[in-house]
Amino acid sequence: MIELRDVAFAYEDAPAFTLAHLDLDVAAGTIMGIVGASGSGKTTLAKIIAGFIPSTEGGTYRGTASVAGAVLSEGTLTEAVDVVGLVTQNPFNQISGARFTVREELAFGLENRSVERSQMIERVNTVAATLGLTPLLDRSPYALSGGQMQLVAIASMVVMAPPVLVLDEPTSQLDPAGTRLVYDVLGRLSEGGTTIVIIEHKTELLHEHCDAIAVLAGGRIVSTGTPASVFADDRLSTWGVGQTRITQAAREARTRGLLPATEPLPVGVSDGAAVFGTNGETR
Amino acid sequence: MTTLYLERASAVHRLNPVTKLVALLAIIAIVFAVPQWWVPLGIVVFVVVPAAVLARVGGRLLRLFLILLLPLLVVLFIVQGFFFPDGTTVLWQWGPARLTVEGLVFSLTIGSRLSALVLGSLVFVLTTHPARLMTSLTQAGMSAKIAYVISASLQIIPAFQERARSILLAQQARGLEIAGGPLRRARALLPLIAPLVLGMITDVDERSTAMEARAFGATPRPTSLTVVDDPLSERIGRWLLAATAAAVIVLVVVGVIA
Ligand SMILES: Nc1ncnc2c1ncn2[C@@H]1O[C@H](COP(=O)(O)OP(=O)(O)OP(=O)(O)O)[C@@H](O)[C@H]1O
Ligand SMILES: [Mg+2]
Repeated sequence: MIELRDVAFAYEDAPAFTLAHLDLDVAAGTIMGIVGASGSGKTTLAKIIAGFIPSTEGGTYRGTASVAGAVLSEGTLTEAVDVVGLVTQNPFNQISGARFTVREELAFGLENRSVERSQMIERVNTVAATLGLTPLLDRSPYALSGGQMQLVAIASMVVMAPPVLVLDEPTSQLDPAGTRLVYDVLGRLSEGGTTIVIIEHKTELLHEHCDAIAVLAGGRIVSTGTPASVFADDRLSTWGVGQTRITQAAREARTRGLLPATEPLPVGVSDGAAVFGTNGETR
Repeated sequence: MTTLYLERASAVHRLNPVTKLVALLAIIAIVFAVPQWWVPLGIVVFVVVPAAVLARVGGRLLRLFLILLLPLLVVLFIVQGFFFPDGTTVLWQWGPARLTVEGLVFSLTIGSRLSALVLGSLVFVLTTHPARLMTSLTQAGMSAKIAYVISASLQIIPAFQERARSILLAQQARGLEIAGGPLRRARALLPLIAPLVLGMITDVDERSTAMEARAFGATPRPTSLTVVDDPLSERIGRWLLAATAAAVIVLVVVGVIA
């Protein structure tokens, strides 16, 4: 669904390329997690996938990025926006300012797409309900907490139902319950065929919900694979990506000789329990 | 949000905002066209105030009148009433201060026009939710981009003030002193400017990305979630108001009203 081939980008007047020789493939209907250190270029990558780079950003762009078979840089931004929905990093800046209630805010994109009113009401109500926003629908979008604003920002893109959804750190301000709601929604969308790219620092969440992980470091994708394989990689910390507490515990257990080196490193809670459990039995 | 709007269930509130806007503009046009001071005064007493009472915002209107308008009217009365340069018919004199009929009439004219303008606008603002205003204006054909600029300045600017406060708080938390004399306080605010302005510039970037991501401006004919009723009676009413205002102006210009 998403294909990036040898993509490179340098911001205007920047001394070096932020991204270079970057290749990325995301299969249709899957959830791809992108990890990388701060400043590694995750937001830049998100903007490329969503068609905002190069069309709204000066600088040097090379390579081809195509989504659903269309090369983004050859079409208009409006065409790209129809296919790829982008939730940007800062929720405050996603509140349009053009609407006075959360309900209208959620409808904003649909209005711009000339969706019929009755359909609009239904979609807004459905998405609001799935993200727990129903009690906030008549509030001003500016009278919300950071986390609530973030849910509104996500909802206002989800409601447009784009075939591809790119989310830049969508749960950075959410509590565990809000985070769960978001990942539940993403899971359901993906089952319905939506292709999802999610930039996220919380390794454990990605492990639980993603079909694949790509690691961004040094301007390139340095590793891709299943969450279990990527997050157990020994080079993870050199890429500036945190390992889960369970992997840390397993490594610790290894160095103390409690866990055989042949045992694959666990990442999540259940595989962790399995590894520690079997080891306990053998002792 | 910093608007004066008061939520009430009233016929005035329910009017299409465009109708209220046309009425306001008609009032403004008439009071400034007609030279007689009692016309604006009559409009205030028989139209504006009853409308405010009907809309149950009379108390707030009175308060705003006392705070905003009354001091201005008093100054106007003193300066123009007592020191009107072309005053000849002296009623009362004390040193250089001469209360003249001409000065009195002049201050009454300006004062009543000002009252009609300010009080009329206040009733409009007190009874019209900005969202409904924007919706009705776009329904009436105003461009979505202009509507955006207006709505955004009503909402984003207060939001930015909030941000300015939080930056200030962060700097105070790190030892910035803002207590002291006015000069010292002004100097202390300087460090606020850079983060605020830089923040706003990067914000504009991200905000425009977010707006485009939601297809803003993609179609010339967007649909609308909220619909403001615009019954035939109101549309006729608007034409009548506009026609009345135009007729009054014409009568003034040709000299029938003088
Ligand atoms: N508009 C810009 N102009 C110049 N350089 C930029 C611009 N935006 C980002 N950069 C630079 O590009 C690099 C990548 O930035 P990007 O925002 O993509 O990182 P990121 O991985 O999203 O970081 P974070 O995790 O902090 O969000 C950084 O070194 C940054 O300084
Ligand atoms: Mg980023």
